[in-house]
Amino acid sequence: MVLTHTTNHTYSHPFPTVTLAFFLRYCSPQLNPFASHVLSTDTISSHVDPETGRLHTTRIHLKKSRMPPAVMKLLPTSLTGGGAADKASYILESSVVDMREGWMSTESRNLNFVGVLSVVERQMYVAPRAANHASGGTTDVETKVVFRSRLGERIRDRLGHPSSAAATTAAAPTDSASNHGQQDGWLSRFGARGVQRTIESLASTKTQDQLGKSREGMRMILERLRQTGIIGVLELRKMARERSMEAV
Amino acid sequence: MSQSLAKQCNELKERYDTCFLKWYSEKYLRGIGTADNNECSTLFKEYSSCLQEALKERGIDRLLEDAREDNKENDAAFLGRKK
Repeated sequence: MVLTHTTNHTYSHPFPTVTLAFFLRYCSPQLNPFASHVLSTDTISSHVDPETGRLHTTRIHLKKSRMPPAVMKLLPTSLTGGGAADKASYILESSVVDMREGWMSTESRNLNFVGVLSVVERQMYVAPRAANHASGGTTDVETKVVFRSRLGERIRDRLGHPSSAAATTAAAPTDSASNHGQQDGWLSRFGARGVQRTIESLASTKTQDQLGKSREGMRMILERLRQTGIIGVLELRKMARERSMEAV
Repeated sequence: MSQSLAKQCNELKERYDTCFLKWYSEKYLRGIGTADNNECSTLFKEYSSCLQEALKERGIDRLLEDAREDNKENDAAFLGRKK
């Protein structure tokens, strides 16, 4: 069960600036008001491959639940852990930048809720080969999102592996022993396949809305970079931070 | 300001982030010293040891393991299908 959605977009900013905006896109709500759902961002690893000169970066973001409310309504509370609609999800983001060849590829995937829905977003940013220098350069990006629900499959897995069940439900502590029967009955009533397909298409619709917002956020950071450069952005970031420290 | 997922790592994260963004915009993007980003590595080590602890506490290290396993599974399935 897989659903794929692909879009293309062109930023009217040069490639290096767009890659910088990618790293900055969650850095401050002052810079990007569309990132207020991002609770935290951490870098797990970052290194330059000495042979290719490519920069490999892995980050983990914590976002307020991206699980669409309509999906949450579909699921029994035994599976979502009750108030899971306002729970947060961890997003793993890996990126590779090749400045010499002029491309950046990124991949983001959710780390929790994968048993219900896995969303993998892949983006390819490229500097057009015949860059029009008079216009200051543009950057093309292709975004491909793959939705996959393995609802029934995962639950069957869990029944066979009580230890992994404990791990996956750790975020939403429920009485798992009594819930398994309930989930199974619920799934067979609706038909796992049908539910999987519904979840995928609901998520796809929501993501298409979300893509517009994420582009809008990128554009605001790009504008700020054009106006004040990176130093200005770093200053603003620092000021915002000091203000939030005072608030605490 | 985007925080670290662990409050106690915020200070270290902030120092590393600032270093990284400066290195990235002033050096990497200009093709200077692309072979290394060592100038932030000490800051990264300090930040990372704090972060790794926090990931373990929250069980996120296990989620990361699962994601890697999942990738292998998917790759195998896709490669198999292409035959």
